[in-house]
Amino acid sequence: MTPGTHPRRRKSPFTPARIAVFSLLLLLALVTVYPFIWMVLTSLRPRNTIFNGPFIPEQFILDAYPQAWQQTEFGLHFLNSVFIAASALAGIVALSTIAGYAFAKLQFPYKRLIYVLLLSTMAMPATSLVIPLYLQVKGLGLLNSHLGLILVYVGSMSPFSIFLMRAFFEGLPNELIEAARIDGASEWSIFARVMLPLARAGVGTVVILQFLSIWNEFIYANVLIQDPSKQPLQPVIFNLVGQFNTNWPSLTAALTMAIIPVVIVYVRMQKQFVAGLTQGAIKG
Amino acid sequence: MNSVRQQTLSARLTSFFLGKPLGRQERLAGLAMTLPALIFFIIFIGIPIFRTLLLGFQEWNAIGPITWAGLGNYQRMVDDQVFHGAFFVTLLLTGALTLCLTTVPLLIAVLFNMGWGVFGTIGRTMLFMPAVISWVVTGALWKLILDPNLGSLNTLLANIGLPMLQRNWLGDPNVVLWAIGTVAVWQQLGLYVIIYYAGLQGLDGTLHEAAAIDGANARQQLFHVTVPLLRPVILMVVTLNLLNGIKLFDVIYVMTGGGPVNASQVLGTYMYRVAFANPGLPEFGYGSALSTVIMILCILAVFFQIWMSRRSNI
Repeated sequence: MTPGTHPRRRKSPFTPARIAVFSLLLLLALVTVYPFIWMVLTSLRPRNTIFNGPFIPEQFILDAYPQAWQQTEFGLHFLNSVFIAASALAGIVALSTIAGYAFAKLQFPYKRLIYVLLLSTMAMPATSLVIPLYLQVKGLGLLNSHLGLILVYVGSMSPFSIFLMRAFFEGLPNELIEAARIDGASEWSIFARVMLPLARAGVGTVVILQFLSIWNEFIYANVLIQDPSKQPLQPVIFNLVGQFNTNWPSLTAALTMAIIPVVIVYVRMQKQFVAGLTQGAIKG
Repeated sequence: MNSVRQQTLSARLTSFFLGKPLGRQERLAGLAMTLPALIFFIIFIGIPIFRTLLLGFQEWNAIGPITWAGLGNYQRMVDDQVFHGAFFVTLLLTGALTLCLTTVPLLIAVLFNMGWGVFGTIGRTMLFMPAVISWVVTGALWKLILDPNLGSLNTLLANIGLPMLQRNWLGDPNVVLWAIGTVAVWQQLGLYVIIYYAGLQGLDGTLHEAAAIDGANARQQLFHVTVPLLRPVILMVVTLNLLNGIKLFDVIYVMTGGGPVNASQVLGTYMYRVAFANPGLPEFGYGSALSTVIMILCILAVFFQIWMSRRSNI
């Protein structure tokens, strides 16, 4: 630091106040993750020491995992969840990129009306729509089919995705569109060839956020699919809670396996995830 | 917008060289591009909303014919003790959670904003973990932790010499709402901390510096600088909390199913029981009337947000 410049006070990192705050935040973080640690440790515990052994088991046993996998037909339901999530995501991305682009960059009649209509019901919870949706899906003959659930997810999750994609496309420059128009490109090919490739980050946000919503969704899945072999994971886990009464290692093993995909997605793509989430929440 | 766009040179050139009527393609494409979303909206949101409203005035057990009930379902609510309880508990939980999850995460976010480098990032990651887990897994996990005989909370209380604090957390009508509220806070706290933290990061630091130079202490800075600047974020958090409280369902359904003796029954779980888990035939009419009440509460929450944001803009 040269003499004459404003001397910047460097705060010592170890003031008592900072140490207190640090301890507080550390305690908070530990309390928050404690249930997860307890869950994983319980799943690795020998069965006879679940309720009276030390917190960290003396020996780790993996038996509960294959046991839970078999008893719950975990693989089947896991694949059901993956299939439902992938198909619904494809539909949501297709609908929301196309519509989001149109709302952001094109002028057409009734634009505001359509947008407000789509977005106005974004706050409607599943508990207020599940009865008519059940009847609707039943009426279409799609009860107990993956297709019915997928269509419901696409319909109910598109508005928020359109909102996110519109915000993203609005940030892209208009000049590209004008230039492509001069070159004689049609509106559809401007969207598909020029703008969509630039919107990858926006699509990523939509995919991550909606993947978690679909993977974690319970009420529609539970009502629309009652055939046990077709159920995705969440209703299966719900049923386990009653079945596995005291077989806690198997139950916690199943819970652990069920959250592995979301934890991986969250830890690996945290940045986009948090960006999308705060963008959605704050700009909303 | 349209007229401005049409006057740009490039647009005029386009229409001159290609001889297309200006903007017609764009208009057709715009309509065509929003049509699929609109169709899905009509089938899976628009019509269901109308059907909920309509069914609220009807009676139907899924087997017999649909009969007109007039205001019968709503009259039934007036005398239905379970509905009274569910309505009250919904408002109570929504209010308590909104109060708690609007203020506490703001304080935590301010503490995180003191600059902790990589430790802060790790801490926020840990805090946010529960928010990516489903309500079903959350409920299942906490049901084990709160188990009166074998759960780790009561075991912990015994081990640290506080056995008098042990409770039948989910089985005691006087305690169950505290337990559910705590689980809901555990699940959502990190989400709101992250939202507030992002808001704090976006603030201009010079105002805080100016306040500090003027001699404002940390508490004064928080209430007179941070909170006013964060008003839009706070309003958003309040609205999200209200909506999340009103639609509370999964976690209660998994942990208690509304029990013991309806002590934790909320509108969502009661609607579900009436329509899908009735011991007798399903009552879609009464269930839809309950759904309508949930819908009205959500609309009130959204109106509250619009009203507040208009007021603060003036």
